[in-house]
Amino acid sequence: MKRKDTVKLISADEMEFIIDKDAAMVSQTIGGFAEMELGEVTFPEISAVILEKICQYFYWALQYSRGKETEFHIEPELTLELMMAPNYLHT
Amino acid sequence: MSAQKKKAFQIEAFKHRVVVDPKYAEKTWKILEHAIHEIYNHNASGLSFEELYRNAYNMVLHKFGEKLYSGLVTTMTSHLKEISNSIEAAQGGLFLDELNRKWAEHNKALQMIRDILMYMDRTFIPNTHKTPVHELGLNLWRDVIIHSHAIQSRLQAILLENVRRERSGEVIDRGLMRSITKMLMDLGPSVYQDDFEKHFLEVSADFYRLESQEFIESCDCGEYLKKAERRLNEEIERVSHYLDTRSEVKITNVVETEMIESHMHRLVQMENSGLINMIVDEKYEDLGRMYCLFRRVSNGLVLIRDVMTSYIRDTGKQLLTDPERLKDPVDFVQHLLDLKDKYDKIITSAFRNDKTFQNALNSSFEYFINLNSRSPEFISLFVDDKLRKGLRGVTEEDVELLLDKVMMLFRYLQEKDVFEKYYKQHLAKRLLSGKSVSDDAERSLIVKLKTECGYQFTSKLEGMFTDMKTSQDTMQGFHASHGSDIGDGPMLSVQVLTTGSWPTQPITTCKLPAEILGICEKFRNYYLGTHTGRRLSWQTNMGTADLKATFGKGQKHELNVSTYQMCVLMLFNDADRLSYKEIEQVTEIPTFDLKRCLQSLACVKGKNVLRKEPMSKDIVDTDTFLFNDKYTSKFFKVKIGTVAAQRESESENQETRQRVEEDRKPQIEAAIVRIMKARRVLDHNNIVAEVTKQLQSRFLPNPVVIKKRIESLIEREFLERDKGDRKLYRYLA
Repeated sequence: MKRKDTVKLISADEMEFIIDKDAAMVSQTIGGFAEMELGEVTFPEISAVILEKICQYFYWALQYSRGKETEFHIEPELTLELMMAPNYLHT
Repeated sequence: MSAQKKKAFQIEAFKHRVVVDPKYAEKTWKILEHAIHEIYNHNASGLSFEELYRNAYNMVLHKFGEKLYSGLVTTMTSHLKEISNSIEAAQGGLFLDELNRKWAEHNKALQMIRDILMYMDRTFIPNTHKTPVHELGLNLWRDVIIHSHAIQSRLQAILLENVRRERSGEVIDRGLMRSITKMLMDLGPSVYQDDFEKHFLEVSADFYRLESQEFIESCDCGEYLKKAERRLNEEIERVSHYLDTRSEVKITNVVETEMIESHMHRLVQMENSGLINMIVDEKYEDLGRMYCLFRRVSNGLVLIRDVMTSYIRDTGKQLLTDPERLKDPVDFVQHLLDLKDKYDKIITSAFRNDKTFQNALNSSFEYFINLNSRSPEFISLFVDDKLRKGLRGVTEEDVELLLDKVMMLFRYLQEKDVFEKYYKQHLAKRLLSGKSVSDDAERSLIVKLKTECGYQFTSKLEGMFTDMKTSQDTMQGFHASHGSDIGDGPMLSVQVLTTGSWPTQPITTCKLPAEILGICEKFRNYYLGTHTGRRLSWQTNMGTADLKATFGKGQKHELNVSTYQMCVLMLFNDADRLSYKEIEQVTEIPTFDLKRCLQSLACVKGKNVLRKEPMSKDIVDTDTFLFNDKYTSKFFKVKIGTVAAQRESESENQETRQRVEEDRKPQIEAAIVRIMKARRVLDHNNIVAEVTKQLQSRFLPNPVVIKKRIESLIEREFLERDKGDRKLYRYLA
């Protein structure tokens, strides 16, 4: 895995998610964070479960924009918390 | 969905801290305030953006957006005040540099701050209609720094000083200037305009006003224009390098007004170097420059055009009223053509083929060519000269070029019918004496005239060509049938002319010598044999003859003479000496023609086959003529004819004029009848206008003449006057 093209997103419970930079850029906020330079961003207020879903969403968004139109399934239990995150991340 | 809702109604504890702590806002703000400080102190690298973003996010979420915003304003303002001080402290040349640097830093900081506060920008600000962060940053910069008392005026002064220095030739830091003006632009177009551009334009106007005054006192027109052009280009370049593009049109306007518009008239009229001099000296580059520069100001070109037009008209008028010039028609017309060429060249090479100039030139030519009533005659003489000898050896293309130019002069003539009359006369002479250089050229000109004026104009001319051809055929027939009869007698060659096509000639008396009469009769019989019902009359004033003459020492010459001259010379076969009266009696040639004929035989050097006593130049009734035994010539063939077309004498001119006037009457009448037939009823002024319009392609009818024609038509009961209104006419079927 190329180091340069990935970023590490760290959740509140210290789970690390390594995703492509392109995927991370779907969130304009993450794109703006200076920590991008360092290659890792910490989110002390987002749990791993949510962060995982968010990463999934990034990839889905990339696919969708390239023409693959599928549905993004959200488990109902996650919806409430999941609503806050995008608000925070501007996604 | 509803089933799901019920199930998920257990609300889990909010992972985000629920804020009850009032100090929370203060604490969070402090974190952010500290961050802003650090950013401005270039210590941004130590910050965690995610944390700051989250803090700002939380503040807004928990309704502390107002505090955040006002805190931001305060903090930023205080930082900017510090920066303002440091800029003010900068000395002299470093001022701009410092300003520029701080501006760049501020922008970077602003961006970071904006990123941190993005959430607030997205949600809180639109809701409360406050200024977004970025814009806020710019506004604060503008208010605190640019518009600070100390800095504002100093900035303006330095910028303008730099421009001034550059204008006097110094090199300045253009990159720096660019950054500063860009900064002003970024702060808002009104900032750029009010703080800089407005003053820039004012100062420039003053500068150029002064400079143009200096220049115009010390330079001539060409130099001045060069300088003006240079300054103009400079300004354009200046804008492209470090000013806003929208300033270009404004500053060029200033230069144009001060350097060109204010001094327009003086430049054009400048003695020894103004417009007229440039035209006379053919200074194409200068003229081109003047055109380009003057085009930029309103009425610039109008001025040039007017001055040029009045000059052309004056020179044209002079040319046309100069008696010296008018003595040689061919030279005169050549002069006109040269004049036209010269101005055409100026318009194409210096004035970009501007149509309005072309039109002005055309109307000027039209104006002065018609000032002289003999112009039509002269143009015809010019053509005559060319078609006789001037076109010898000229290529076909050049012939066409020349004829086109002649056509162009023709178009300017108002009295085209006068031209027609002369052209016919001259053409007749050319055809009959066989002196036309190129048949093709003749025909080409006829075609051009036809295209220009229609079939009517050229039908008779074409008739003349036809007659020539027919005569050739007739002669062939004649020689074929009578060839044997002629034997040693004179060789006859006849051209039969249809009366209508050729210019009317007065029938003159002339007694042909017996030898000639015989063969003439033979021809007449032959012709009338094949063409019954026609009448032939010999035109003795238009023929030529070739005589074989032997002189005293036996030298033989072949003399080419006119018919009259032949009659005179044949008399000397029987007598060595004859008096004027005797010659007159026998030949019955009219006095004027006889005198001219004798003059050409006796008084012209190299052609004096007769001797006259006394040896005076003029012929008088008491002169005596002798055969000149001692006549010598280098050439075997000697031409003594007098048939070349010449400029008419005053009396001839009068005659022709009269004939033209006579010809015009029926044309006017025909026009009146045509108009009245269509309109039935028309008032006097309108008739005059319509008649003029219809006939203007041929000539300009005189309203007085029109009136007379109307009255004549009334007498002949083609028209009647209206009973009630004397000015109204009615058509009578």
